[in-house]
Amino acid sequence: MGAARSYAVIDPATGKLDRRIFTDEAVYADEMEKIFGRAWLMIGHESLVPAPDDFFHTYMGQDPVILTRDGAGRLHALLNMCRHRGNRVVRCDDGNQKRFMCTYHGWTYRNDGTLEHVPGESEAYYSALDKSALGLVAARVESYAGIVFATWDRDAPSLEAYLGDARWYLDTVFNRCDGGMQALGPMKWLEPVNWKTLVDNCSDNYHVPTSHLSSARVQTRWLGRPPLSHEDQFQSPNKHAFVNGHAITFREALDNAPRYMHGMSQETMRLFQDYHDATMPEAERRLGALRARRVQLANHSIFPNGILGFRLALPRGPRQTEFWHFVLLERDAPEELKRIIRIGSQANNGAAGLFEQDDVDNWRQVTEASTSPFARRQPQDLSMGLGHAGPHPDYPGLVSERYISENNQRLFYRRWQEFMNADSWADIALDPISARFDGIATMRG
Amino acid sequence: MAPEMSAQALWFELMQFYIREAWLLDERKFTEWLDLFTDDILYFMPRRKNVLRRELHREVTPLGDLAILEEDKRYLAMRVARLDSGMAWAEDPPSRTRHLVGNLEVTPLATGEVKARTAFLVYRSHLETDSQLLSGCRDDVLRNIDGAWRIARRTILLDANVLLDKNLSVFL
Repeated sequence: MGAARSYAVIDPATGKLDRRIFTDEAVYADEMEKIFGRAWLMIGHESLVPAPDDFFHTYMGQDPVILTRDGAGRLHALLNMCRHRGNRVVRCDDGNQKRFMCTYHGWTYRNDGTLEHVPGESEAYYSALDKSALGLVAARVESYAGIVFATWDRDAPSLEAYLGDARWYLDTVFNRCDGGMQALGPMKWLEPVNWKTLVDNCSDNYHVPTSHLSSARVQTRWLGRPPLSHEDQFQSPNKHAFVNGHAITFREALDNAPRYMHGMSQETMRLFQDYHDATMPEAERRLGALRARRVQLANHSIFPNGILGFRLALPRGPRQTEFWHFVLLERDAPEELKRIIRIGSQANNGAAGLFEQDDVDNWRQVTEASTSPFARRQPQDLSMGLGHAGPHPDYPGLVSERYISENNQRLFYRRWQEFMNADSWADIALDPISARFDGIATMRG
Repeated sequence: MAPEMSAQALWFELMQFYIREAWLLDERKFTEWLDLFTDDILYFMPRRKNVLRRELHREVTPLGDLAILEEDKRYLAMRVARLDSGMAWAEDPPSRTRHLVGNLEVTPLATGEVKARTAFLVYRSHLETDSQLLSGCRDDVLRNIDGAWRIARRTILLDANVLLDKNLSVFL
């Protein structure tokens, strides 16, 4: 580790952002320690390991991690590294196993991480090996409404405190129904982009009528989707909210209008509306009337790298990101509706997504601009809507006046800077939980 | 399919069909390419997982799980139509592709349709230096409509777990 670095990358008065943070190797190494070594990271969903002894292979940043459910039903996040020489003990994407054997020398671990068997323990090791100190390295694990998070930092606050009032908004999707959600996926692909470009794009609704116009137009024509224009967006009453590094876009919905979902079209709208109406009493009971009826979550990101419903931006070096796309479905929704949402989601998003395929070159060029010797000296301009955000009487967090604003990007990089300049969690501020959580939904679901 | 057609003649006819399709794609004649599909086409690309040999039945994700592509004719038509909008940025400027298709195996079905399996290598070059090599196979069901072969079902199996490509904006 080099000497501690001090970061001043975003100018709060002007919104100028130092673009060297996207490609500098030393900055990246620091990020892995100070952000991915500390923060609560989204790693999976309980529905991916539904039965005892199920496992799902995932990542915390660059570190391979096995999400397991042990025989007693408890969840574990275990570093996928044999404590002997470092081999992976799991090389499958998922499965059901009580034990994981390293294929190098045969050290064998139980799915709660305990080192159970070492060949030659009495002969070769003379019974001197302390197996109890050589279990798989375990991260802290907590769940929010079925979404599993993990952190390496023993001093990290609770997940509830980490999410804070962002949960007030997230609940409107992830905690809406008694039966919970199920995850399908992931689809995985490698993009030649810095991981932050995907995350900050979640709050960038400004790009949509330019980057995605071709797909929006054909969906208007073929699916009867409403037309998309800059003008509509500038007049939109939708807003951004920002809490603890998490960026939320939300809509102030008309009463009884279902939230926008992939798969909505003129011909499927009735199904969405019927389901929305049928589940409203349940949603109101769980969330209260305001959140059930009027607050609709749109794009959002969970600091540092959880994005857009259920997706992960996994860093693979400063200039590469492995993107994972899942679809989350309400478990008890009608099968036909689930099919429509799944097909809509995979048609729009993912490597081949009608919308998403047009994003990558944007993020790529933002990343590449930071490698060019002269270009990298010119900062990004994130000045849009400076001074037009603050506390709101009805909505928690720092709320922008408008839907089209760079408020959340500025705050995302400020949060990034705060983590990067902190010596420990003691230096990282958390907003107190102050929202009123009406209804019976809790962290557990 | 004409019942008297020999296996050799059928194989030759279908190989010509696939060579024609490859040229349509590489010459960016996507509207003509779209006409090669029946109106009830299912154009399906499942995911491929790492599983142990004894669990290979779980390697390919089934229909109903999250797929890379699961398109009907309307969605394929949207993909083709947007390319002409002047704003389909993933393909504007367009990719340079080369589809090599071979290893054709033909199995006539009792329905009169034909199962045709091929392997492909597709090279894509985009913008200045981006390039990718896509390897995989297609499992097609072909139907003869008024003397012309049409693809009624296509399952594309890529030889990849994590796709190494920035996006998948070309047709396979």
